[in-house]
Amino acid sequence: MHQDSPSDHDSARGFRLEPATITRLRKWRRYALLYCLLIALAILILLPIAWIIASSFTTRETVWKNVLPFSWRAFFPTEPTLDAYHAIFEKDFGRALLNTFFLGAVTVVVGIAVGAMAGFAFARLQFRGKNLLFALVVFSFMIPGDLTVIPSFVLVRDLGWLNTWQGLIVPGLANGIVIFLFRQFFAEIPQDLIDAPRVDGATWTQVFLRIVLPISLPAVISAGVILFLGQWNNFFWPLLVAPTPELRVVQVAVSIIGVEQQVSLWEQMFASSTLAMLVPVLLILPFQRYYVGGILGSGLKG
Amino acid sequence: MPRPDHHGAAMLTRVRIERWTPYMFLAPAILLLIVFRYIPILLGFEESLFTNALSQVGGRRFVGLDNFLLLYEDPVVWQSFQVTLVFSLVVNPLQVGLALLLAELINQRVPGIAVFRAIYLVPLAISINVTAIAWGLALDPNYGLINGVLRTLGLPRQPFLIHPSQALWSIIGIISWIGVPYWSLFFLAGLQGISSDVLESAHVDGASSLRTFISIKLPLLRRVIAFVLVTDTVTNFTLFAPVYLLTRGGPQLSTHLVMYEAWRRGLVYGDIGIASAIISVLVIVVIIFVAVEFIVLRPQH
Repeated sequence: MHQDSPSDHDSARGFRLEPATITRLRKWRRYALLYCLLIALAILILLPIAWIIASSFTTRETVWKNVLPFSWRAFFPTEPTLDAYHAIFEKDFGRALLNTFFLGAVTVVVGIAVGAMAGFAFARLQFRGKNLLFALVVFSFMIPGDLTVIPSFVLVRDLGWLNTWQGLIVPGLANGIVIFLFRQFFAEIPQDLIDAPRVDGATWTQVFLRIVLPISLPAVISAGVILFLGQWNNFFWPLLVAPTPELRVVQVAVSIIGVEQQVSLWEQMFASSTLAMLVPVLLILPFQRYYVGGILGSGLKG
Repeated sequence: MPRPDHHGAAMLTRVRIERWTPYMFLAPAILLLIVFRYIPILLGFEESLFTNALSQVGGRRFVGLDNFLLLYEDPVVWQSFQVTLVFSLVVNPLQVGLALLLAELINQRVPGIAVFRAIYLVPLAISINVTAIAWGLALDPNYGLINGVLRTLGLPRQPFLIHPSQALWSIIGIISWIGVPYWSLFFLAGLQGISSDVLESAHVDGASSLRTFISIKLPLLRRVIAFVLVTDTVTNFTLFAPVYLLTRGGPQLSTHLVMYEAWRRGLVYGDIGIASAIISVLVIVVIIFVAVEFIVLRPQH
């Protein structure tokens, strides 16, 4: 890269360049370096994904064909076949997808309700024990959920909830980050909007449902994306509490195809991984602003 | 129960009812958090005082601190704590450092930067478990993509996940594929919060980009760095999926992270007591980390 653009030393030694030209060349050099880095990192992220997707359209015989010896065809489905997809759907991968969509939908709807109510109380209502209860919320998301997976498993087992929907759903409904997010959002609603209906005799429930929630779509979307991604990408918890095939979720299904078989079902591993990652990627791209805003809120203002 | 038969009584009733309104709004969230987040922590401590190993006769019984003594004496448990320590000391500074650099990179105002930012978000949507499986395939010693590329470049084939000297590093690389872009978002937000006046005056004073980054931006980001370092560290203590899916703690226990050992003891050998003792040690370490973070990040008024 250094050969392409003259440095200060070159100009000092012989070529007398106008200062404006030097500035322009420097700027150009900086751009070239930046774009090289940006593109290299984009390749590091996109090529493995392209390879997984391309390989999911191969068969057991052709899956490694373009890797050894290596060719660019490894990243493009040149002779696409759906064999691998047929195979995983015969193993009930479709049920795992449906199960996870159902789990995600219930968690999003109930989780938003639970989180928004709590966030509203923390942002707008006065009551005794507020600081203590809020500390309880903040502390809950500073402790990673997976840390207590094993004692949580003991609890859910003792409740008789192993291999049940409630065992998969209920422990994930209250999410500290989501509560925090709603509290931040509700705290910024202008006081007048809330005072006016209160003076007219509206209850807090009416204010919450008719005034606050309808103008809180951004927070609702952020919370929804966070809750859905959390359920879709959850692995450790469903692996422990719901081993039954009827309740299998997508991440566990991927891992079973991936590691718990005697033979290596390469092409099926690629196909199931493709489906497991495509859903959240397609979700996050249109909502990236909300997702990023949501996770950042937990860290920066906290 | 007072009847709202005239205006004053109605107001009084409303005030009385509304005293409970905040708690009704909070009840579902707080109850769920207590039952499913806080009780398990206590339950972990309680279970760590009992033994119920399948090998033991007589089922579950109280053993006091014996499980902790067993932890202390068990070479595999010790190994898992050591591996976790080395892993933590490498992965967290590495991810924080790279995430800072990535944030500085995507904070540059150049045409098309939004496209690159969107691309770097993609790994955040992918589960650690799919990432592990995908990179496990890419790092396969016989067929994998990376070895295919290495061979094309005339470089020797690498064992990656099947060699004790490379397996832990491979796992660190795999999880950083998600971790670095994720944490860089926090640093990017921090960088964007630095006032342009400060940076402008540094520029006028003739400070280079590197000098500005080290002497001005890094000190201003120290709260964010502290937050990310602690959160990343406690999150990585719970790393399980890549070990479970790719190495099963091996080869030669080189990737035997503590959460994998807890799972193996509790769920494979059915010894919830020992597993809970391991978790309890980890919970105490995490609480210390988080408490220190609370003190360091306490707003200074």
